[in-house]
Amino acid sequence: MSELMIKAENIKKSFGTNEVLKDISFSLEKGKVLSIIGPSGSGKSTLLRIITQLETADDGSLFVEGDPLFQAQDGKAVYVSQKAMHSIMLKTGLVFQSFNLFPHFTVMRNITEAQRAVLSRSKEEAEDRAIQVLKEMNLLDKADAFPSSLSGGQKQRVSIARALVMDPRILFFDEPTSALDPELTRQVLSVIKGLAERDMTMVVVTHEMNFAKSISDWSIFMENGYIVEEGEPEVLFGNPKEERTKAFINSFRE
Amino acid sequence: MMKLIGQLLSGSVISLEVFFLTLIMALPLGFLVAMGRMSKIKVVRVLVDTYIQIMRGTPLLLQLLFFYFAPYYIFNSSLPRFASAILAFVLNYAAYFGEIYRSGLQALDNGQREAAKVLGFSKRYTFFHIVLPQVVKNVLPSVGNEVITLVKDTALASTIGVIELFRIAQTASSRQFSTMPIFIAGVFYFIMNYLVSRVFDLLESRMQY
Repeated sequence: MSELMIKAENIKKSFGTNEVLKDISFSLEKGKVLSIIGPSGSGKSTLLRIITQLETADDGSLFVEGDPLFQAQDGKAVYVSQKAMHSIMLKTGLVFQSFNLFPHFTVMRNITEAQRAVLSRSKEEAEDRAIQVLKEMNLLDKADAFPSSLSGGQKQRVSIARALVMDPRILFFDEPTSALDPELTRQVLSVIKGLAERDMTMVVVTHEMNFAKSISDWSIFMENGYIVEEGEPEVLFGNPKEERTKAFINSFRE
Repeated sequence: MMKLIGQLLSGSVISLEVFFLTLIMALPLGFLVAMGRMSKIKVVRVLVDTYIQIMRGTPLLLQLLFFYFAPYYIFNSSLPRFASAILAFVLNYAAYFGEIYRSGLQALDNGQREAAKVLGFSKRYTFFHIVLPQVVKNVLPSVGNEVITLVKDTALASTIGVIELFRIAQTASSRQFSTMPIFIAGVFYFIMNYLVSRVFDLLESRMQY
């Protein structure tokens, strides 16, 4: 029985009167890749942002490697202590759609700053780790460049590097290629594929259907705050049971 | 002529004192104003907003007169002229700086704070190393504009009898029945502002990225 990295139970979230997540439960095993697809506004990003602690859940429970982040109690999500939240945050890494690199730092400093300030690594240690990851990303020559001089694909690879050097247990991608053209998208997707081959546990929210199908071990289709259907990617993309899943996937075929 | 230049130079020293004292106090005070304006507590927000509206909505000249004469009517004694002038300038400029800082803080893409949070930076670290350097760069041109205006506004201190550059030039002008001293004072202001703008150019070029 393999280890559960994420276990989400009955998560609910509203913004005002808008119920974004209605009842979300899923789990993810170690070394697996989960893809989440669905139309805009279906709640995919909100779910990612709750697990990475950028939003708080209203109700439900979430366990990361068995440790609770919040647990349902009398219809409310009760969060663990600040300290416990922080240690869970260090287990999760997030790659944003809009990169969010720090424009006033060089590529090297973007990748070393948190290693030093948060993980208390020495300068040498942090730079060694950064160089190693930059090499893998084919970006070593950009170490001293500022983000403004990079292409979108390079920026996104730097932001993946920035998340990776923190050695997260689970890496989340929030539409990592939505701001990129097809050529740059390919660059970024091949990096993510490389991570999957090394058994990095990942959750990818994406609109790249072929990519999602080829990379993931499990796929979820979300709509209107519910998980409509989930399953093996071959089944979900090839022969979905639900009409709505079919309609959504077909809309990408045109 | 040399005597006039000497007098104008000593007046400039007073103008520069007003200038630097105002900056030293108003630049940090503006930060408090910005915080108050964005406060979660409604009373604080309303009070600070009212203060800003008054400071920006009335002439600085009038504010100078107010801070010099109002204490006289209320407490029967006035602050020294120089202190009244500094008080008026600081309160006036802090309002403007506060609004500049606020717009700079609010203009920063929230993704920066989110990225910092997800990486595990503390709030304090995020503010000083991620938010502040970017906000400083973004507000620098607007702050530079205000600082240049301040150099010229110091001349208003003459209306409550502070003997600074403009007041000395005016006095010399009426003594000599000539507008020349006032024009020379103009050159003095121009030179000071030339230096100020060079300093800001330098600061901006250092923050290129």
